[in-house]
Amino acid sequence: MPEIARTEYLEELATLEASALGGLDMVNTALSRTMEAVEHQDVEMAQVVINDDDRIDGRYLEVHQSLITLLATQSPVATDLRLISSLLHVLKSIERMGDQCVNVCKLIPLTGSHPPADEEMVKLILTMGGQTRTLITQAKRAFEERDVEMARDLVRRDDVVDNLNRECFQLAIELGDDADKREWAMTMLLAARAIERVADNAVDIGEQVAFVVTGLFREFEDASHPS
Amino acid sequence: MLGVVTKRSAAEDGKQTMSNGPVGRTSTEPVVKSGRGAKTIEVSGVNLFYGDFHAVEDVSMTIAPNKVTALIGSSGCGKTTFLRSLNRMHELTPGARVAGHVSLDGEDIYGKGVDPVEVRRLIGMVFQQPNPFPTMSIYDNVAAGLNLNSRRVPKSQRDAVVERSLRGAHLWEEVKDRLDKPGSGLSGGQQQRLCIARAIAVEPEVLLMDEPCSALDPVATLAIEDLIAELKSRYTIVIVTHNMQQAARASDVTAFFNLDETGKPGHLIEVGATDQMFTNPSQQATEDYVSGRFG
Repeated sequence: MPEIARTEYLEELATLEASALGGLDMVNTALSRTMEAVEHQDVEMAQVVINDDDRIDGRYLEVHQSLITLLATQSPVATDLRLISSLLHVLKSIERMGDQCVNVCKLIPLTGSHPPADEEMVKLILTMGGQTRTLITQAKRAFEERDVEMARDLVRRDDVVDNLNRECFQLAIELGDDADKREWAMTMLLAARAIERVADNAVDIGEQVAFVVTGLFREFEDASHPS
Repeated sequence: MLGVVTKRSAAEDGKQTMSNGPVGRTSTEPVVKSGRGAKTIEVSGVNLFYGDFHAVEDVSMTIAPNKVTALIGSSGCGKTTFLRSLNRMHELTPGARVAGHVSLDGEDIYGKGVDPVEVRRLIGMVFQQPNPFPTMSIYDNVAAGLNLNSRRVPKSQRDAVVERSLRGAHLWEEVKDRLDKPGSGLSGGQQQRLCIARAIAVEPEVLLMDEPCSALDPVATLAIEDLIAELKSRYTIVIVTHNMQQAARASDVTAFFNLDETGKPGHLIEVGATDQMFTNPSQQATEDYVSGRFG
């Protein structure tokens, strides 16, 4: 067989993949800071996350444009085409994850500087955040290593986050009649819901891993068809 | 169905080594039949040789009617040789041999007593370089196939066939006022459509196209591709192309040929639905070729 051709194009595609997946590291940083803001009612840290979201959006737009250029100029097919298609999905998920962190951070000022916080609920949300960060790291690794089994395992980890979210809801119901406390709990439920969505986005990335490897796109799980 | 044996074809029959097969004899059929359907080509264990050189090894595949089947592969992999075996043009090369079976809707085209000229009428060919007869008018170029046939075609019928064929090749509107002008005066794209008109004038059931757009500019190429898409409703179409985007755009089924090294015979690696072949081929060699991994 003749020597391998199209080296520049292949290098560019690899660089774009690394750049897109690097967006997951940015999301992990944003989520870590978001959890810190939740734990300490830190409005300034929340503002840092909100401001920094432009960097995640910038990564999304930049890599997205470069992938479109590759599609237009290199006519990728087969695995290359599936990779580019999946990276476009992954980028969209990354952008959504960043926005969910922003959504949580926008809630922090609403709870006031000395909110009637329930320690157990804060702990649940921080645990959700930690679990979700693990999901994001695992999704990235599964993509890099084209490991479908590792990608499928994200569903199991996501179930943990979903259960924690339900616990938050139960706790909010049981918090009693105090109006301020109820309002705080309602706000925290929105935060928990946003984090739960970030974990769902990590599972979406896992589905893209399966698509790149097998060529078949199937949702691992779906709201209307839970696994 | 495949015609009677003429003196010429009987002589040619002696050159080929194919097995016998059932052949219908329809010597009373009209020269130009309307409403012919596209037919299925069944290829089984075909091996092709140029003298001692084994060019294509053991190809078996089914070519479906009313579909465009693209043959792709690097130079020397035998795809054009294989294409030429589908209408018995391969055997015209001195020393060329064919072994195996090729049937058209179950009838062995290499069967004993089958007239190769009739096979080539039923299975027409369009070549890489547009090759209208240079001194003939546009009209005569289209009518050439009819005139070559032993039966006389009345002028009125010939006029109708020429118009229908030129319309079928999307050329009528451009040439209807200059049918008596030489075909060589047309542009490259028009000349290729003229050749397609000439091929369909004799109402074939299959159209073979050997890189029909490689000598054309992009606009003329897209016009031919549009024409191919339209023609498949009436014919079985097989196209050899080096342009993988053309295979992806214009075909329904793609067959990938490859050879292990120069001097070895080419063989069929994989055949499948074109969308599958270009998004998720099952063979690594196909993946490497369609994605340009090997130059």
